[in-house]
Amino acid sequence: MTWLVWRQHRIQFLVGAALLAAFAVLIVITGVQVANQYHAACAAGRGCHAGSGLFLGSHAVGFLIISTLGAPALVGLFVGAPLVAAEAEAGTTQFAWMQSVTRRHWVAVKVGWMLLAAAVWGGAISALVTWWEGPNNALQLNAFDPGRFDIMGTVPVAYSLFAVALGIAAGTLLRRTLPAIAVTLAGFIAVRALITLLLRPHYLSAVTVFYKVTSNLRPPGSFWQVASGIVGPNGQAIDLNTNGNAVFGIPANYLPASCNQVSRGAFTPPPSCVQAASHFRYFVTYQPADRYWTFQGIETGIFLVLAAALIAVTAVTLLRRDA
Amino acid sequence: MIPIHEVPGSALPGPAAIETSGLSKRYGKVSALTDCTVSVPEGRICALIGPNGAGKTTLLRLLAGLSRPTAGQVTVNGTTPRQDPAFLADIGFLAQDIPLYRRLSAEDHICIGAHLNPRWDAESVRERLTGLKIPLDRAVGKLSGGQRAQVALSLTLAKQPRLLLLDEPVAALDPLARRNFLGLLADAVAVGGLTVVLSSHLVADLERVCDHLIMLASSRVQLCGDIEDLLAEHQILTGPRKDTTAIERSHRVVQITRTPRQTTLLVWLNGPVVDPVFEASDVSLEELVLGYMGQDAEPALAQLTTVGEEQ
Amino acid sequence: MISFRVDGHSVVPPYLQIVQQVRQALRMGVLDVGDQLPTVREVVSATAINPNTVLKAYRDLEREGLVEARAGHGTFVRRRPPGPPPGTHTRLGRGLARWVREARDAGLDDDSIESLLRVTLRAAAEEEEIA
Repeated sequence: MTWLVWRQHRIQFLVGAALLAAFAVLIVITGVQVANQYHAACAAGRGCHAGSGLFLGSHAVGFLIISTLGAPALVGLFVGAPLVAAEAEAGTTQFAWMQSVTRRHWVAVKVGWMLLAAAVWGGAISALVTWWEGPNNALQLNAFDPGRFDIMGTVPVAYSLFAVALGIAAGTLLRRTLPAIAVTLAGFIAVRALITLLLRPHYLSAVTVFYKVTSNLRPPGSFWQVASGIVGPNGQAIDLNTNGNAVFGIPANYLPASCNQVSRGAFTPPPSCVQAASHFRYFVTYQPADRYWTFQGIETGIFLVLAAALIAVTAVTLLRRDA
Repeated sequence: MIPIHEVPGSALPGPAAIETSGLSKRYGKVSALTDCTVSVPEGRICALIGPNGAGKTTLLRLLAGLSRPTAGQVTVNGTTPRQDPAFLADIGFLAQDIPLYRRLSAEDHICIGAHLNPRWDAESVRERLTGLKIPLDRAVGKLSGGQRAQVALSLTLAKQPRLLLLDEPVAALDPLARRNFLGLLADAVAVGGLTVVLSSHLVADLERVCDHLIMLASSRVQLCGDIEDLLAEHQILTGPRKDTTAIERSHRVVQITRTPRQTTLLVWLNGPVVDPVFEASDVSLEELVLGYMGQDAEPALAQLTTVGEEQ
Repeated sequence: MISFRVDGHSVVPPYLQIVQQVRQALRMGVLDVGDQLPTVREVVSATAINPNTVLKAYRDLEREGLVEARAGHGTFVRRRPPGPPPGTHTRLGRGLARWVREARDAGLDDDSIESLLRVTLRAAAEEEEIA
């Protein structure tokens, strides 16, 4: 049965392996350059975090890295969706299931290998990207941000498994390849967007911290900022949408006139202005940096559960339905 | 249509390869097969005849275990069709549209079969296809329809099953190829341990090689039994146009054709025909099949009532 | 080795055609006592008829005493059907061939020859009855 899976899908496997290999070569070569850049910057003596605005590596490769956001979907669309659908369309399940293999065995081996392939695909890409982005993560402390969180760590593996499971389920239920591909794409985007935007901020209750506006404090490390703003002396939220000037981030209309001088030039604000500003506080609602792996784990778990449910639907459908 | 079908006699030699009872299959509101009760003894080559949409493919798929019945029982090789390697190894099924992996070659399919089946005669396939000058290494999708059919048939035989279920297997073959294939089937049955059910439109082909018959029309069984017995139990009566009530009372009339000068009846005999005016002649398989397929609903029903009242 | 021809369109059932062909072969001397009949598989492969048909024919011949089945070896001719020896058949056959050539030269087609033969046979039968 494994031989049959290989024979049927060897082109897919080879294309995937070739893409991975090409990607790996590119990443390794440019990643070494990025690492060297980083170490040079550190050695320059200004501290490794001094160049926090500096982006290491070429923009072209950087763009490629960001586009690995879509890599899990590829395995769902081109490996998962056609798996059952193409056979249903061609009627070849009638051939396979009349050889002496039970449907259960056929499903288990086929789906099993595709899941493994998906995991390897997602894992390899994630490992390469995570390694390449090491210096950037250290410099910019933004590994927890949406968009970057999604392409590193363990979640790409779970996304890939989810995508392929979604593709297989769509192909099984729809029995036609092109509609299955469309549904898989739409479903993947919808679920990912939903979870990233609506669920992820709430995996654990976010922490809110207040700083004096006059200080320059921020939460440590690669925290994920969920919300931020300024609270006035009476605890009222300050509307930051203003066209006017701002001092310490506070819109001028909240401050006494003595602050107006400051807004025009690089003068040290007079004590009266600082005094007035010190009643304002800056708040950050965030997920602390040390929760990064917890969040990776939770999101990985969610997508694994979704994948498992989709595989279950697929199995039940194939085993019960007429051939 | 009257579902007149024969319940096979009790003196069957050995176990039945196929036995169904009240087998039905519905798709939503449509009934593809209704109340099908048939029996096929081992070692027979059974013709499954009927017009399009009569339920032949449905019955074959139910026998192979590819679909599940809505009602009724089906027993194949002694068990209900099931997802079990031993059961699957004993069944060969070839669907009408010849499902092969189009991008794979015949040799690939031979390897697939070798990997997936406990008994597999790879050499027989290679020998046969080479003899028919069909290339083993070309993608099956690039072969002609007839060549593809030969590949599929060879692969099905290579599995060495106990029961072969073939859905219109010779439709894509030219007459010579058809003859060769039917000869191959008959030879495989002669070796022993094989029962064959093949569906077809073409009665003439089947008459030579088949010794058992199941006839379906409108999702129901019309005839089932040994062809020899069925032919012996039917006769064609030809005579001048006259009142046929007497005949209709003693025998079951399958079909009446009346022309201004002549009446022709196909009857299922219930004893000898006594009426001297009618000339009796033997029925050919084709006439029998056409007779059952061409029954008119209303007159037939009237006859059924007559027979019922009489008894 | 005799090879059978089964005509699917004949009114004669296939098994009977085989029986008749074996009998005719014996009369003509094509098959001799002790010769082996083709195996069921050989017949079936060549003619594409049901193996049970062949078995039935061979069983009928066995019942007539013309052949006998030896387990594991095949079916062998035991004796010839009653009638004149093969030589007679061959001689008569040759005579008939001459007559057919003559009839053809005279312009008779196969149908006319057949009906002439039938009429002659019937007349001969009636004569025998009267006699």
